[in-house]
Amino acid sequence: MNRARPARTALALLTAAVLALGAGACGGRATTHHKPGTSHAEDTGSNGRLLKADDGDGHRLRQVDADGAPEVDLAVRPDSEDGWNVHLTVRNFRFTPDSVGGGALAGRGHARLFLDGHPLARVYGAWFHLPESLLRTAGGGIRLTAGLYADDHTAWAVGSSPIRAAATLGKASASPDDETTMVDLAIKDGKVTPAPGRTEIAKGRTVRLRVRSDRDDVLHVHGYDKEAKLPAGRTVTVTFTADRTGLFEVETHESDLLLTQLVVR
Amino acid sequence: MTGAPAPDAVRVLAHGIGARHDLPLSPFYAFAGAFAALFVSFLALGLLWSHSRFTGERAGRPLPAAVQRLADARATRLTARALGLAAALSVVLWLLLGPADPDRNPAPGAVYVLLWVGLVPASLLLGPVWRLLNPLRTLHLLVCRALRRDRETGRRPLPARLGMWPAAAGLLAFTWLELVAPDPASPTALLVFLGVYTAVHLTGAVVYGAHWFDHADAYEVYSGLLARLSPFGRRPADGRLVVRSPFNGLDATPRLPGLVATVCVMLGSTAYDGFSDAPRWITTVQTSALGRTTTATLGLLAAVALVATLYALCAGATRLVCGGLPHPLTAFAHSLVPIALGYLVAHYFTLFATEGPHTLALALGADRPAAPEPPLGPGGVATLQVLAIVTGHVLGVIAAHDRSVRLMPPRRAVIGQLPLLALMIAYTVGGLALLIA
Repeated sequence: MNRARPARTALALLTAAVLALGAGACGGRATTHHKPGTSHAEDTGSNGRLLKADDGDGHRLRQVDADGAPEVDLAVRPDSEDGWNVHLTVRNFRFTPDSVGGGALAGRGHARLFLDGHPLARVYGAWFHLPESLLRTAGGGIRLTAGLYADDHTAWAVGSSPIRAAATLGKASASPDDETTMVDLAIKDGKVTPAPGRTEIAKGRTVRLRVRSDRDDVLHVHGYDKEAKLPAGRTVTVTFTADRTGLFEVETHESDLLLTQLVVR
Repeated sequence: MTGAPAPDAVRVLAHGIGARHDLPLSPFYAFAGAFAALFVSFLALGLLWSHSRFTGERAGRPLPAAVQRLADARATRLTARALGLAAALSVVLWLLLGPADPDRNPAPGAVYVLLWVGLVPASLLLGPVWRLLNPLRTLHLLVCRALRRDRETGRRPLPARLGMWPAAAGLLAFTWLELVAPDPASPTALLVFLGVYTAVHLTGAVVYGAHWFDHADAYEVYSGLLARLSPFGRRPADGRLVVRSPFNGLDATPRLPGLVATVCVMLGSTAYDGFSDAPRWITTVQTSALGRTTTATLGLLAAVALVATLYALCAGATRLVCGGLPHPLTAFAHSLVPIALGYLVAHYFTLFATEGPHTLALALGADRPAAPEPPLGPGGVATLQVLAIVTGHVLGVIAAHDRSVRLMPPRRAVIGQLPLLALMIAYTVGGLALLIA
């Protein structure tokens, strides 16, 4: 009987706490940036050491031990239609879009992208599409840098330099370049030119199929499940990134012709 | 497939099912495999035993009585029957009522992947499972119960000459549907095939009794032949379930008429499946004046005929070398089963591992689920393919060796094996070449 009372009190307190938290969470509009009542003030908590130096853009550095520090890698590849796709690989780090504006918690936060040193965008996940228009607005550039930031917008740093990774944006994606394999196919009177064969493609390359049919048809790339209408006499371009290995057939559906086989390895 | 374009026109697949094929084998792997096969073959000639060691049906160590009771329990049998019937019913219902698009309908995958390819691992692990699951057998049983007739006795005794021939024909028809038919994944094609198949085999069972299924049902025979390589089997002498060497299981393969034809269809159709991927053959089919289906049918028949002709030539040569060998054709047919198994594994492993779960996800109601990534990378698949084909070859050589030392006079046993060895090397090298193509 003696033990029951503290237990009940604890339960009541817990319930009250849950209710208060729940009300707080439900009350405000969900926001990915500043929560109500938070500001750009740096968190003075115990996660990392706040340095005097900043990241060059007014955000102070927050230094942590190299051991177990967040890490980031940056990879870019041309988007098949517009701009670039940016891929951030992070270790010892979690994207926490819901708590940005809060305190600096170890191994959490978001990333920022810079183009030739100018801030470009905040990133809350591993993948980010960088449209050509954004690059233009930012004044252009080819050096893309990604840095990791804590929820209070301080830059995570090791040895008084911010944790960053960089990549170079190559030639504009609109023009076919070394990364693209072009495949030209024509269908006339039920015959495919060049005769169906195999196209070897290294994994990760962009494939651009240009197909011209003398009758209305539907093009289908198996495995990647790309479909495109082929109006008679018009050249149709289908572009995709060959990111799965295997042998894939490119076919037309109405005339049931195999056009080519893509060997992605 | 001509006519107005439909937005979700029925997918036409070169194979019954599956959008991604394995990469062609790199010549390095193929050469390594061929060399290993040659090496093992001649090693076998020199080193293997000179007196037959396999004891066929008498072999095996009995499984614990509890396992046997569980396997033989009425409940187990009834459950298996009910499962088979329920699965068949749901496939038919999906075919009748489901969407025509095979990306949304699990029935084609259930037939071509879960049944056809799934029977391979199931039979290898558990023995002739289709005998238990076969919905036609269950249907026949139910009809006999309803009419109060004995299911074992038909109107006529089963002619011995028939043997496995109906099964060979059934396998050929099924592989034709899968590999040649213009639209193998369409519900209509599958319904017609399944309907005709059911009609033929139920008629067979009514006329000849339930024994008809033992050697005439294509899937039972297919599963039964593969189950010869299972470590588990039933000893006919005392009905015990035993653990046995797969060689003994293989050695006990019944030498029925039509066995050679069945094995040749298994080998030939799998070979045609590999061959039909080659761009040159596809061009031939697409541009042939005979029409596609005719050309592809001729291709499939030619593949089976080639396998069979090579086998017949080899049997003739064996008889020439050894003289007086009774039935040289059927005597060695069992040794081709492991080779056919090697072909099957090499061609269908990835398909089963990706399309199997995909089909199940579809059946469970997922909307256009993504097929899982293949479990093995390109190198892993290539290694597995070569290993499967070479292992099949080695098992075949050993099985044939034991049979030759049993049947041939000792002086001629080594030379008598040469034609068969040459044939197996031809099949193996051919199988590897098909994987490069």
